[in-house]
Amino acid sequence: MIKLEVNNRSWDVPEFQASEMLVWVLRDTLGLAGTRYGCGIGVCGTCNVLIDGVPKRSCQTPTANAVGKKITTLEGLAEGTGDQLELHPVQTAFLENPLQCCWCMSGHIMNAVALLENNPNPNSEQINNAMNENYCRCGGYNNIRKNVARAAEIAGGRS
Amino acid sequence: MSAKRVKAPLTPEQRWKMTRRRFLIGTGSLGVLAVGGYFGINEGRPALVDAIEKSGASRVGKMPVPNLWFEMKPDNKMIFYAPKFEMGQGIHSALAQIAAEELEVDVKQLEVRQADSTIGFDPQLMFTFGSTSVNALFTPLREAAATMREMLRLEAAKQLSVGVNEVVALRGECFARQDMGKKLTYGQIVAAKQTEWEIPKTAPNLKARKAFTSIGQNTPRVDVRAKLLGQPVYGYDARVPDMLYGAVARPPRYGATLKSANAAEASNQPGVTKVVIDLKANFAGVVADTRTRAREALKFLNLEWQGGTNVNQNEIDAMVTARDGEGVVIRKRGNTDATILTGTQVTAEYRTPFAAHAHLEPLSALAHVQALRVELWVPTQFTSGDTRGVQAAVGGEKREIVVYPMQMGGSFGRKGAQSAALEAVRLSNAVGKPVHVGWTREEDIQHGFFRPPSHTRFRGSLNSDGRIDAIDQVTASGDILFSVIPIPEPIKNLIGFDFGVMSGQFSPYDFPNYRVRSHRINLPVPTGSWRGLGIFPNTFALESFMDELAFAAKTDPLEFRLKHVPTTEEGTRLKRVLEDVKTRSNWATTPESGRARGVAFSSLGNTYVAQVAEVSILENRIVVHRVTISIDAGLVVNPANAALQAKGSVVMGLSSTLLEKLTVKDGMVEQANFKEYPLLTLKETPPRIDVNFLEGGDTPYGMGEPAIGPIGAAVANAVFALTQKRIRDLPLEL
Repeated sequence: MIKLEVNNRSWDVPEFQASEMLVWVLRDTLGLAGTRYGCGIGVCGTCNVLIDGVPKRSCQTPTANAVGKKITTLEGLAEGTGDQLELHPVQTAFLENPLQCCWCMSGHIMNAVALLENNPNPNSEQINNAMNENYCRCGGYNNIRKNVARAAEIAGGRS
Repeated sequence: MSAKRVKAPLTPEQRWKMTRRRFLIGTGSLGVLAVGGYFGINEGRPALVDAIEKSGASRVGKMPVPNLWFEMKPDNKMIFYAPKFEMGQGIHSALAQIAAEELEVDVKQLEVRQADSTIGFDPQLMFTFGSTSVNALFTPLREAAATMREMLRLEAAKQLSVGVNEVVALRGECFARQDMGKKLTYGQIVAAKQTEWEIPKTAPNLKARKAFTSIGQNTPRVDVRAKLLGQPVYGYDARVPDMLYGAVARPPRYGATLKSANAAEASNQPGVTKVVIDLKANFAGVVADTRTRAREALKFLNLEWQGGTNVNQNEIDAMVTARDGEGVVIRKRGNTDATILTGTQVTAEYRTPFAAHAHLEPLSALAHVQALRVELWVPTQFTSGDTRGVQAAVGGEKREIVVYPMQMGGSFGRKGAQSAALEAVRLSNAVGKPVHVGWTREEDIQHGFFRPPSHTRFRGSLNSDGRIDAIDQVTASGDILFSVIPIPEPIKNLIGFDFGVMSGQFSPYDFPNYRVRSHRINLPVPTGSWRGLGIFPNTFALESFMDELAFAAKTDPLEFRLKHVPTTEEGTRLKRVLEDVKTRSNWATTPESGRARGVAFSSLGNTYVAQVAEVSILENRIVVHRVTISIDAGLVVNPANAALQAKGSVVMGLSSTLLEKLTVKDGMVEQANFKEYPLLTLKETPPRIDVNFLEGGDTPYGMGEPAIGPIGAAVANAVFALTQKRIRDLPLEL
């Protein structure tokens, strides 16, 4: 068994899956469906997760490369459970102003979370640059721009 | 996820009692009040509906299984079984808002669940297609909801010991009008119910539009929270205990058949449970304990393929070329031959390429073949496509096929029209366990079907007043609906034109002589439905040509269109959207230096859309700065979500306008993934896309597709206004 640390929890993964891409281990083996597959070649960004706080394409990350690192997925953003569940500011912004099918949403959210960690107060150009590498086929790009700014506001980055 | 559904204790015939109106009242199911109806039949088999209505309630038991709409539970939870599929268009939310209106509940009180085949849908009638859902369900859904509300009111009157007319239903409660303290929640009413439900003798009145409190509001979507928390709602997420993963071999050329495959080496690969080879079914696949291992093992099948096409793009282009006199005349007025060669003549031809759907969630299916039934979890727009061939593939006794439609990560006309279900069924049948097949992006692009290429040729003439005198139009296109309609090829050739290609194929403008020919091309490359069917390619051609005519007439393109608005009701609506987009886009003002505007219009169903695009050229690339959209979609159920549909249509259409093109080489599409087939990005998306809905009557029309029509021509027309260069092929290349 290899050990993965996902969302502050340790998970056992069969040794042979070390060479499998992280996206499949997360989705199929660990049942964390919030990380979604899009292209398998690192173009569309749908499968983004945070590895030690940095957004990475999990379809291009062999699971072995994530061992010993902190992996954060969509499921790890909200705090608490049940009625006490508190969404991450980025999730709140996307709930207020959603995309359409939302398959790509997790990738955008992970990107935005990382952006706001490093820059709590991004301007529109910084948002465009940080968010440009992810596709949204349903065409919700203007909502994405708006939601990142809104998340910064919710998080109190704007005074 | 509804992996294991407890079967209802009663058969539908025992469970349901039909009302005089075709609603069905659940009886005896654990104190739950349920209201259902024959939605599918209502929509799909009008003659049967008539028969049901005429027959009264006596034929219960011979009726097809009804589908369930609502369940009111004693704990005050109300379940709404949404009979349409969610692919991001917000249909579950829109239907919930419509239902809540007549139920007199807050949308939040409704738990929206996807209706599946276990609760009564005829699989043949489970579809979500053509921007029709809200329009088709608007009245039947309100009638069912109002019936349920009236039953609750009748019962509340008894329980409160007041007259029925004294009871007001509001926000999930029934009040006594004279004494607002006397009240019962719907749940309390259901819980205290002792006797049989009384069925209203007359159809309940539906609320007038001015009384709406739910319809027309920007109510938050019901599906987003689960998606934000990563819950497994999509087809690719489907998961049941003991499941395995499948991968399927793909041919190197369209139409190729499997000549041989060798199971031995693949069977020995790590994690492989089973290799399934069925040459008669043209099928070879692997089941393994992980997806990666299943896909790896495919490489060891030593596949040999035979036949299929070797077609190349230049041959496709030659096949899809509109020529004078070819095809079937599908519209004719006046005398085009006599007038086309008079006055000022304008000719032009336009071409649009193969395009992919490129939904970000590729095809998938989970199947579990069991002794008595086959369960399918599928992301789908048409469950009939998922169940087709399943019984034959598993053989033996006839089995019940249970379909659980899952949400879709986009679809755009693809899912269900093409399905991975049969692949998962073959593999599950071989291993006796549930098997999930999830396609790779490469499979999804190369082994799907495509928006067909089209080519349209126009000849037009203007009279001395600068008005259109005649248009002769010939369109050649690959099949759209013919590829899914099960009629023999000779009959298709006899009909000669494809109904799907007809979407958006006719000019809406008023001029005396018009002839449209449509020519159906049966390509060796799979083609089919893509968002809006023919509307995107057709509108690009029609509305680009309209601009060319305006230029020849030396008239402003928007004024030229207004000048040709017919004096009909349709014409009035056309004029309204054109005038609205003119105002909102500041058409009359000069755009800032280096920019120009273009306009285009299209309609789909009863929805009318005009768009103005404002563009510039930067480093030899077209940049779209702003798109203004004016829409008459009738009554809008949820303006915020409808606006999102319009904006999303524009972005998807813009991606096709500027970037997307598939080409065929040696019998296979050359592009396999987003490196070769990039989609529009955030930075390429106009930061300003403004949508205005024009106030329009009491009936909602479709919103999922219409706004994709005009954008190609609006941008091409703007590029012409800026550069005087007319680009007639998509994607636009300077």
